[in-house]
Amino acid sequence: MPEWREELRRRLAALHLAPAEEAGIVEELAQHLEDRFRELVSQGLGADEARRIALEELSERELFEGFSEVLAPARPAAAPPGVGGGRAGWVGHFLKDLRFGLRMLRTRPGFAAVAILTLALGIGANTAIFSTVNGVLLKPLPYPESDQLVTFWGTAPEKRLPVVDYPEAMFLSFHARTRVFESVAAYAVAGVSLSGDGDPERIQAAGVSTDFFRVLRQVPVAGRTFLAEEGTAGKNNVAVLSHALWQRRFGGDRGLVGKSIQVGDRPTVVVGIMPPGFDFPQRAELWFPLLLEADDTGNWYLSTVARLKPGQTVADAHREVVAMSDEFFLSRPDRFPDAKPGSRAVVMPVLRSLVGDARTPLLVLLGAVGFVLLIASANIGNLLLARALARGREMALRCCLGASSGRLAAQLLTESLLLAVLGGAAGLLFGWLGIRVIQGLQVGPVPRLAEVRLDPAALLFTLGVTLAAGVLFGVAPAIRASRLDPLEGLREGGRGGTSRGARGLSHGFVVAQIALSLILLVGAGLLLRSFQRTLKVDPGFRPENVLTARIQLPWPKYGNDTVVRVFQSRLLEAVRSLPGVHQTGLANRIPFSRGNPQQELYVEGQIPRPGESVPVINNRSVSPGYFEAMGTPILRGRGILGSDVAGAPPVVVIDETVALQYWPGGDPLGKRIRTTSDSSTAWLTVVGVAPNVKHASLRERPNFEMYRSLSQSPAWSTYLVVRSGGDPQSLVAELRRRVAELDPTLPVSEVHTMVGAMAESLSVARLTNTLLTGFAGLAMLLAVIGIYGVMSLNVNGRQGEFGVRLALGAAPRDVLRLVMRQGLLLAFLGLAIGVAGALWLTRLLGSLLFEVSPMDPVTFLSVGAILALAAALACYVPARRATLADPMSALRRE
Amino acid sequence: MPEREWKKGSAELLILSLIEHEARHGYELGKLIESRSKGVLRFHVASLYPLLYRLEKRGWIEGRWVEKAGQRRRRYYRLTADGKKVLAAQRKTWTAFAQAINRIAGVQHA
Repeated sequence: MPEWREELRRRLAALHLAPAEEAGIVEELAQHLEDRFRELVSQGLGADEARRIALEELSERELFEGFSEVLAPARPAAAPPGVGGGRAGWVGHFLKDLRFGLRMLRTRPGFAAVAILTLALGIGANTAIFSTVNGVLLKPLPYPESDQLVTFWGTAPEKRLPVVDYPEAMFLSFHARTRVFESVAAYAVAGVSLSGDGDPERIQAAGVSTDFFRVLRQVPVAGRTFLAEEGTAGKNNVAVLSHALWQRRFGGDRGLVGKSIQVGDRPTVVVGIMPPGFDFPQRAELWFPLLLEADDTGNWYLSTVARLKPGQTVADAHREVVAMSDEFFLSRPDRFPDAKPGSRAVVMPVLRSLVGDARTPLLVLLGAVGFVLLIASANIGNLLLARALARGREMALRCCLGASSGRLAAQLLTESLLLAVLGGAAGLLFGWLGIRVIQGLQVGPVPRLAEVRLDPAALLFTLGVTLAAGVLFGVAPAIRASRLDPLEGLREGGRGGTSRGARGLSHGFVVAQIALSLILLVGAGLLLRSFQRTLKVDPGFRPENVLTARIQLPWPKYGNDTVVRVFQSRLLEAVRSLPGVHQTGLANRIPFSRGNPQQELYVEGQIPRPGESVPVINNRSVSPGYFEAMGTPILRGRGILGSDVAGAPPVVVIDETVALQYWPGGDPLGKRIRTTSDSSTAWLTVVGVAPNVKHASLRERPNFEMYRSLSQSPAWSTYLVVRSGGDPQSLVAELRRRVAELDPTLPVSEVHTMVGAMAESLSVARLTNTLLTGFAGLAMLLAVIGIYGVMSLNVNGRQGEFGVRLALGAAPRDVLRLVMRQGLLLAFLGLAIGVAGALWLTRLLGSLLFEVSPMDPVTFLSVGAILALAAALACYVPARRATLADPMSALRRE
Repeated sequence: MPEREWKKGSAELLILSLIEHEARHGYELGKLIESRSKGVLRFHVASLYPLLYRLEKRGWIEGRWVEKAGQRRRRYYRLTADGKKVLAAQRKTWTAFAQAINRIAGVQHA
């Protein structure tokens, strides 16, 4: 007896009844429970079982609901004072529902944890990706009216040249003729050395046409930007500094404007300081005016940024750029004899060009994460539906006892909203963590990623999704509850059965989940296989243990080729003698560095006919030892030797792509090529063949490549390549010291390991893979939880049926098969729909895939098999439980 | 919506009629409803007592602790004068309703 009272007092505590009233109720209900207990024992049940059943009938929820409508709490309800009549009722009901909902969650911690975690994962992943996509792709650039800013360039796909910059003459012609653009500016990125006060330092700078800042509508915080005449010789020794450089190197000195600083070997007057944050293009810290010549058509190096006139579109601009290009080429037959109309050009909003390669992966991720949210939503829908069904009897009873259907719906809705809000709050936390994780995965060249914050738009988005989810998931069970026929509910609910409609709905959820996760898994699988293929690509060199550093010799200190040659050979000697260095060499360009000088290729005896396009070849100048240091094997002939000096016969090493193209099956050694049609230049004799080397990306198609001797084709700006016996990073300090011994004013910049530079080139792909794989795994987990939940519910509802089957002689195996068949039918339906969807959707991955078809059968089959297996496991556990149904208890219930 | 109203009222009608002639305690009421409805209608402790308290609060029934010889102390409910009126009215409504159903649907009396 005492135990009933204690239990009753605990369950009634939430009502806050007056002590006397509570004592009466406790006494009366304890009597009832004791009677019920004795009755059950007399029917042959054990004491524990009888006690359990008696207490089960003492539903805490019903007690609370029932009594709270009849009895006034001793303590006043939490409705705020002063709230008038009708509203007080509404608020009171809401608070009661809320309190009750919280208690419901506390009493079912498993259900609450799964539901909140599911929501939080879905919403968190969405917030993180939405913030990232918004920050990287959608948020406007921090320039006034930045949507009017475009950039354009020429393109020559037939020469394998996706991007062709413009020569000075061409830019000036555009500048003079344009009607579509308000103004056009040109720029070229360059590194410059700062010396004078403090250590020599290599910084990112940009040469710009004088109206560059006006196009971007940037106003300096001190001083001015460039004057038109500062684009002419003699007046161009001026510079504009970034806010960051001004603070870092000059301590924010207000008097700096008008003073002279040392840029390279030239004294340069600082005329202005830009506002904080402005670093266009490519994190520039210093801008200097370009000297543009109206007759220079030889150097194709200028990038453009232009502002559209109001009302003009990108398409208008494209038409004009093509027309202006045609006119430029056709009006100079002496320079462009084979020019034809129909120039090609690309015009693009600046924002989009900055985001570049990251755009497609981010959009794919946005789609993927949307799928995850859908799957999570389906899971929540299923959980709540299952809950509603399990509580069908309770709802029916309460309906019977006078609760209006509106009140029941409100109660269910409140509970769902409560879940949604809790899940949303946890999701926001996950989202914040997610952004940190995304940024932590990779600090490489994903533009604007570092600036991504959990922004208010994402917050609103999440809140919207959360509330929509809450209402949506609350409404379905609520509508069901309001349509409930109490008598049927009592009859059916007594056995925990499920109605046909609800079962159909939850089955639909499961099929959709399986289908969506299959699509995600296929997408992730395809990307992973592409990534594996990429990693297997032979780059044409061995990146391990290689350190590279850029050394640029300033003019006029290193004013002629002889001085440069002497310095470079002394540098090689000094570095070679370092302990741990195996081999070292110099090259004007190395793989995975910026810039790619190219020239036209003419092969002796195979001169292209007029009108035929001239192929383009990547042009490299390398020192002896470069191939060994880089780990590029010479396939035939020899590499560049110390004997290939300025006066010796000019030689060249070509790559196998050139060899195969021009001498298929023949011997290229001894054949001759040159890089201009000018017959007065000397032929270069082919002395060796190197393998194809990947220059900018492991996924690029093979290019033509040639290597000249650095002595015969000198370069001021070179990369030092050092192959060491161990960790190349350990050489950095010693390397800097050796360079300083040779020339203390020389900056050593872009110090990288080759492995690091290659990994950076894969950063976007790696980020996409990691996230998409994570999402796909999450999706599969949610889908498996979903199918497990639904099968468990089905099995629980049919315990009686299984018991009867077993009692009538069915083997446990038959019951197992029955349940498994039902679950697997759903799984395979989902798989079939998923395969169809994946075949349709993976086309969107196209540009992200490498040597893998979007319909890759291996991926489809293995992913399908994994998902089917997981689904089978998820069905097996409830199916096992079905075979354990107790025939006796089933019969007793019947 | 008369349908919902009579469903709501039906539980009240059951209780009122069961104590019309004889005071009964809660457990007994639950057993009677279950057995007379042949198991179709069941009230557990958590649903039955709030209903009883509500009827008592409306003044239709009255509960009183009684100790009978050889039995435990129990709370017995009996109909009040108001309750009798309500029962009569509800019965009339119910009968009229049931007859209406019969006339239309032709449901046979058991």
